[in-house]
Amino acid sequence: MGLSEHFPALIIAVFLAAAFLSPLIYRWARYLSAAYLVATLVAAFGMVIALLIQVQQGGPVYYHMGGWPPPWGIEFKADPLRLYVLLVVIGVSLWVFIYALRDLQHELKKALIGWYYTLFAVLVGSMAGIALTNDLFNLFVLMEICAISACAIISIKEDRECLEASFKYLIMSAMGTGCFLLGVVMLYMVTGYLNYSFMQAELVEAFNYYPRNIFTAAALFIVAFGTKAALFPLHVWLPDAHASAPSPSSAMLSGVVIKIYAFGLFLMFYEVFPPELLRTIPLNEIVLWLASLGALFGSVYAMLQSDLKKMLAFSSIGQIAYIFMGIGFHHDLAMVGGFYHLMVHAVTKAMLFMAAGVIIYSTGIRKIEDLAGIGRVLPVTMIAFSIGSASMVGLPGTGGLISKWFLALSALEIGRPIFVLVILASSLLNAVYYMPIVINAFMHHNEFGNNFKPVPRVMKICMIVGMIFVVISGFYTTPVVNLLEQAAELFF
Amino acid sequence: METLSGIIDNYYYMVAIILFVIGMYTMLTHSNLIKKVIAMNIMDASVFLMFVAVGYAHGSQAPIIREGADVFYANPLPGALILTGIVVAVSVTAYALSLVVKIYRYYETCDYDEICEIRSRE
Amino acid sequence: MGESTVIAILITIVGFPIIMTPVIMYSCRISDKLRNILVIITSAIAFGLSLSLYPFVIGGGEIQFTLFEVLPNLEISLRLDLLSFCLAILASFIWFLCAIYSLDYMAKEHACGRYYPVFIFTLGSCQGIFFAGDLFSLFVFFELMSLIAYILVIHEETEEALKAGYKYLVMTIIGGLALFFGMIIIFEIGGTVSLGVGVIVQENSLLAFIAFICFLIGFGMKAGMFPLHVWLPDAHPVAPSPASALLSGIMLKTGAYGLIRVIFHVFSPELMQSGGWDTVMGVLAVITILLGSAVALTQSDIKRRLAYSSISQLGYVLLGLSILNENAIIGAVFHIFSHAFMKSVLFLAAGAIIWNTGKRQIADLQGIGRQMPITLGCFSIAAFAMIGIPPLNGFLSKWTLALGALDANMAIYVFVLLVSSLLNALYYLPIIIPGYFEMPGGGGAGHGHEHDQEEHHEIKFDIKEAAPLMLAVMIVLALCTFIFGLTPNNVAFNLSRLTAEYLLMGGF
Repeated sequence: MGLSEHFPALIIAVFLAAAFLSPLIYRWARYLSAAYLVATLVAAFGMVIALLIQVQQGGPVYYHMGGWPPPWGIEFKADPLRLYVLLVVIGVSLWVFIYALRDLQHELKKALIGWYYTLFAVLVGSMAGIALTNDLFNLFVLMEICAISACAIISIKEDRECLEASFKYLIMSAMGTGCFLLGVVMLYMVTGYLNYSFMQAELVEAFNYYPRNIFTAAALFIVAFGTKAALFPLHVWLPDAHASAPSPSSAMLSGVVIKIYAFGLFLMFYEVFPPELLRTIPLNEIVLWLASLGALFGSVYAMLQSDLKKMLAFSSIGQIAYIFMGIGFHHDLAMVGGFYHLMVHAVTKAMLFMAAGVIIYSTGIRKIEDLAGIGRVLPVTMIAFSIGSASMVGLPGTGGLISKWFLALSALEIGRPIFVLVILASSLLNAVYYMPIVINAFMHHNEFGNNFKPVPRVMKICMIVGMIFVVISGFYTTPVVNLLEQAAELFF
Repeated sequence: METLSGIIDNYYYMVAIILFVIGMYTMLTHSNLIKKVIAMNIMDASVFLMFVAVGYAHGSQAPIIREGADVFYANPLPGALILTGIVVAVSVTAYALSLVVKIYRYYETCDYDEICEIRSRE
Repeated sequence: MGESTVIAILITIVGFPIIMTPVIMYSCRISDKLRNILVIITSAIAFGLSLSLYPFVIGGGEIQFTLFEVLPNLEISLRLDLLSFCLAILASFIWFLCAIYSLDYMAKEHACGRYYPVFIFTLGSCQGIFFAGDLFSLFVFFELMSLIAYILVIHEETEEALKAGYKYLVMTIIGGLALFFGMIIIFEIGGTVSLGVGVIVQENSLLAFIAFICFLIGFGMKAGMFPLHVWLPDAHPVAPSPASALLSGIMLKTGAYGLIRVIFHVFSPELMQSGGWDTVMGVLAVITILLGSAVALTQSDIKRRLAYSSISQLGYVLLGLSILNENAIIGAVFHIFSHAFMKSVLFLAAGAIIWNTGKRQIADLQGIGRQMPITLGCFSIAAFAMIGIPPLNGFLSKWTLALGALDANMAIYVFVLLVSSLLNALYYLPIIIPGYFEMPGGGGAGHGHEHDQEEHHEIKFDIKEAAPLMLAVMIVLALCTFIFGLTPNNVAFNLSRLTAEYLLMGGF
């Protein structure tokens, strides 16, 4: 079919179309607007699956925007790894959006809900673009779109905390973008190309003549992507931003937005830079050590929090560190583990934020110490929270164990068992702050009679879907692991 | 000696880096929100400057096709990219300034340290 | 009995209780009686099915069956051999009896709707541990059982119970992480964690030693081994008594079972002896035995005293495992059996006393024999078995362990066993003798003085026994200690002997 050739571009285009049409439709027919965005998300998901099937059989698909070949035109590349990340992004976005349909009416002003749909569509479209693009400047543009829409879905709530948090996020993100752009300039100076494939071919030679340029560019990329993905010392914007945002925004941000930047760093290190760079100067060591510190400190900070969403946000810092460890080990099993964790953590953290959102929707409680006994009035929610916590700790039977398995195995394979200790220590610290919430929720008695709103069925179904996915991903790992192992062979 | 001549020859790049560092430093350390936005613009502008400077070759003409076989054109690609980049920077600036306006309405101040103090008192 | 039948039975034994858990949870809403019947039926079916595997296992049959593959080389599999059969039948038997005991005991307690489903679920996961065919399934079921047993520990929901439960939970998670580390190292060295492929680690290396230490930490924490026993004296007393009996009787043994599997199927005994690792275990075992008994002397709460006694008795099993010759292994496995019976009786009797009179302090238990002679009688039989008086089963296991120690020329271990028996006597007899021969209410408070003046020359029985089901269970278990100790030619001892032969032959 003629249309299927254009799927890579269509995936992004439908979201941009939805972004433009949403406010118009919202003025005239409210329900239609939400349904339209859901339909867009489903259509995009279907397109990704169709592309995945095509790519599994035929090899990577290169799409030239406007028919102009690279290096003059912009190129999109669809290969199994990118499509896997895309699947995770669009799948989680669809799921969070269905949850958001009921939750937004409670959190935002009525007139803004239509604009939220716009921002959501732009966010998902830009993330899809980041996953698919093969051109550095296109990546810059899409990263900026993603940054603006991510900040906007925080500040759309329009209360004091979220405005300040959103501004902080924007400034830190802009700093990251500045560094990224400088890095692109450095690379462009020595290669004259902006396309990943062409640039990598050039860099293999150019590395002999201009090592310092390339090294600087790599360092700037680490700072840029590290800031946007909350790598350890650059994570300072995350807690405020994710905690003060409306719950579906928190779920999206913690779930997929920071992951897509980690994926961006992975692509930079392995698809743009030549392999000699990482062999000569072990930049991945820096990422590895920062990630280890992040895994430990994220949990330590989380233990000190009293607000539920802030605790979950700090927990995100610790968990995204696992994905960075996967990138930092420079080993194929670690890559499998890191990417598996990308999927598992996206679903789990989105589910945890959804549970927090339900608690806030239903009882208005945000402090952890007030959560005693809430399991008796919100059983489905707290069971979802328990299973999510089990996955964060890495208990067997949940997907969290599988990703930790791969990371620990690769740590042993490269002969550095200290990182296994780091992984185990962070699991223990995770348990220390998740378990008391779960225990308190079910054990004590408390009265919530005053303003207790019953939980809408849609939200319950969303959480049950999340629970089932987390448990299944702990046992039925074969398709994903096979896909990732095949992808890993291309890089190592 | 070589380093010095290198620096002087590539003064575009040096100025761009100095502006970049000024922009980044201001953005991170100064507490006035508007200053942060301005610094972000300076930072982005410096990178655009560097980009355009990369595209220039000594003695080249503007990249518009004209008669003549052996005309030496400057690289049009950076210019095109920079226009895109400027648009992106402008949109980020617009959004940032709108946030600053809203923050000012809530906190009555544009100073980040004061805002933190107000928030810690709550 | 065909292989597929056996596999079906194994899956049923593990899966049926787990499936019945939500059923029992919902049946609470219908009626208590229905729930009780379901609980009894479930545990009876589990026991019956385990029993039905006896002819297959005695005939030398052994099954290793992969259910499905989680990751390449990492699968969920089931295994049936002599060792797993021994422990599974023991576990299901004790669980069945404790279920019957719970019917009467929990009638006075709250939150039965939470207790019974958790009870049955832990039965299923415990059987899952014993029938696990590889370290990963063992780990999954181990964590599952430990975490769900937490609910039993904090059942009373008092301040003390919650603190004990928190300590238990943290140590369980630390143990689980240590197990994970050990398992990962084994997978890295050997490429597989299955228990059916012979010895996984062939040669000694630092990494293998680290794995062994991790397994010691993980399984030893569960078994109450010396430095990691700190959760046990808090957790076992605060649980309701049938749960305490199960915790002390069976769940500690899961740790010992894990260690046996690790010693024989992951590292071989030769590797352990060549690396000197058995000395490490031996030292820890000796310290555990002596420490447990010594501290038990200082306890005044009866259940805490029994908990410390459990610590020291599991030390016997560890001692047997560290000696690593035939008699020692027979002694270790048989002690698993006998301690399960003995400690269950002790905890159930203590529970009956608390249920009836509310007294937990040993000083208050004087003269309790006049009120509850049968209960105290069962307690006494089990206590004598613990001390090691023939013809009870405790004596048989100590005798075999001592033989094993002498075979290995470690006479010091025999000395340790004797000292520990003496200490056992020192802390059990002060419960039994005043229980029968002193006047009730003679400890601490002086309010019995008026009665004393009138009746101190009469031994008066004022029988107000425990409920009939509780009594029946205690009597059955006390008889078991007697039957299995009378001669060496009994079922449990024969099973232990066959198991030891099987393990030492290389586990095939």
